Amino acid sequence: MDFSTSRRRILTGSAIAALGSTLSPRLLYANDAISIGSLTPNTGGGAPYGGNMAAAIRRTVDQINASGGVLNRQIKLTQEDGETNPETATRAADKLINVNQVIAILGTWASSVTLGIMPKCQSANIIQMCTSSSDDIPIRDTKGLCFNFQILNPVWGRALGKMAIDRGFKQFKLMALNNDFTRSILTGFEEAIGPGRLLEKPFYYNANQASYKAEVSRLLEGNPDAVFIPAYVTDFTSVYKDIYRAGYKGQVITVTFAASEPFKKAVGAAADGILHGFPIPPLDSPAYKQYLQEAGLQDNGQIQHPYGTACRDQISVLALAIEKAGTTEAEAVKRAIYDVSTGPGKKVVYNVLDGLKALRAGEKINYSGAGSAVEFDQNRQLIGRDIQLYQIRNGRDEIIATLKVR
Amino acid sequence: MILAQGLNLQWGITGMVNFGVAGFYAIGAYTGGILSTRVGLPPELAIVLAAAGAGVVGLIVSLLTMRLREDYFAIVTLGFGEIVRLLALNEDWLTEGPRGLKISVRPFDFGLTNASYALVYLGAVAFTILIIYVICERIRSSPYGRVLRAIREDDVVASVLGKNIVRFRVQVFAIGSIFMGLAGALFAHYVQNISPDTFMPMIAIFIWMSVIVGGYGNNRGLLLGAGIVMVILEGSRFLGDFVSFVNSQQLASIRIILIGCILMVVLRFKPRGLIPEPKFSSPFERTPD
Repeated sequence: MDFSTSRRRILTGSAIAALGSTLSPRLLYANDAISIGSLTPNTGGGAPYGGNMAAAIRRTVDQINASGGVLNRQIKLTQEDGETNPETATRAADKLINVNQVIAILGTWASSVTLGIMPKCQSANIIQMCTSSSDDIPIRDTKGLCFNFQILNPVWGRALGKMAIDRGFKQFKLMALNNDFTRSILTGFEEAIGPGRLLEKPFYYNANQASYKAEVSRLLEGNPDAVFIPAYVTDFTSVYKDIYRAGYKGQVITVTFAASEPFKKAVGAAADGILHGFPIPPLDSPAYKQYLQEAGLQDNGQIQHPYGTACRDQISVLALAIEKAGTTEAEAVKRAIYDVSTGPGKKVVYNVLDGLKALRAGEKINYSGAGSAVEFDQNRQLIGRDIQLYQIRNGRDEIIATLKVR
Repeated sequence: MILAQGLNLQWGITGMVNFGVAGFYAIGAYTGGILSTRVGLPPELAIVLAAAGAGVVGLIVSLLTMRLREDYFAIVTLGFGEIVRLLALNEDWLTEGPRGLKISVRPFDFGLTNASYALVYLGAVAFTILIIYVICERIRSSPYGRVLRAIREDDVVASVLGKNIVRFRVQVFAIGSIFMGLAGALFAHYVQNISPDTFMPMIAIFIWMSVIVGGYGNNRGLLLGAGIVMVILEGSRFLGDFVSFVNSQQLASIRIILIGCILMVVLRFKPRGLIPEPKFSSPFERTPD
């Protein structure tokens, strides 16, 4: 076979490819189904959560389709991997919007990804649902299309700060990994403890350093009662090793992400005593218990699938809002999201099928979810969530306080 | 493809190993974004100025490092790429740091719908690629291009023949940087949101693969190489819509494995790339047609 190239061949090939790429999406993807996309972090930093987030959305869509769909139309779900990377995610979102013609993109996790795809979604009038907590989200969402199923970082940081003060610490030093997520948690913590308790202005460090000795020695200067270090697990492991080697006897406080299982395995008994906190699903809610059953999990009293639960809520609320609005048009769906999720005096439903049934019976509903009660303020942010504070004792997390954030 | 053309000019034709592709790409993206969003320049002008800005930085970097030997030069460019990324991450006042720079204006926007805007942008980028291709071809086939290839093969010989190799190298490095900056600015205005995570050194690896697979030194070859790498990277997404037994998580890995396999196969059977650079033959060796 002759594989030689000529100008004519290259031109013919390019013309066919260009023609194909313009025509094929419409031919291949045109049908009556409601097209919805998910962009979960299946790989990269969010990989520990992405799998069960994608699965939760898929399961709920299957339930809806099996019961006859929404507005008598099936849901066509297209799932993409955002790779916890804004660049890849933007390209995937481009495909979801222009090729799959989705009306909404669910399941974004990292704030950089949610913010990264936002301009594309805004110009195409696509609804976004996320569990990202950068306080920039409501500011940049100028069209009011992005609904957040996680509390904003400053709220999370303030709750941890308050719990730290309650435990009697007087002098603090703060240092955060230099990314949007950890920096805005630090801001909330700083607000809660107030300037009087700070020994030095908080500072940031960059990820992937060979050593964090310089940062750690600056952090421990003046021997503060407690240090707060919002971080990811990989860098926190290295930072904490340096803190331990320096012989620091004060209290180390961080976020639960940073002190997760890989950290405990890496540092062993040295992890004992660390305080960490996290927004948690409502463990007593029927919706949470139903989620465990759907996912084939046992109720062990511990938090399982903190983001998978939120993704079940995202697709459920969206489906209910479409049914309520009677259309897939973004403006109407956006208003209907409030109708089906927020406000008193309505019938509380814990899953999408009950909700659809009630809506068809003409009832007003309030969906209460597996990840949170799903009540939105006027900026499309969750009104409240429970935050739990843990201490690592004998290599296990023990609950020491729960704070209801409103 | 624009990045690959820039790299081909620097490495494929002149032999300068530039691992800092992501750095120049980032400079173009951020300069373009800042000029159009913060300064308020028309985005089309911002893109042109961003390319020029990257060219100036390329000129400075090459002037400072041009006397370094190949491998040292490669390390310096790798470091340069990281310095740019870390500056973008830490200088919040200018780049908005890890939050990412939002670019609210779109170039070539005449009130089009979303789908037709994507086609217009595709057309604009394709036209840019064509122009750069013509420029690169002109450089390659001119006497100037012959000097560059001579420098690549043996810079001592070129300098013995009276060529100022430092001047040639600096010029070519700056031109390549202009193309990379242009690519960055076009990308930034298309995605409308850039953050330092976008400019990881991995980008340089994909561009290097494009040039190696396509055929270094050959402008047509690298268009094919960049096309193949992009089809695998992006085209494999479409596979997931039709094949149910592979989930998106597995697809992400398959994508990278496929690129690695293609690189190995090409290097084994076509070590000089799919469309190798035509070998120069002297008129005396040519056989009559």
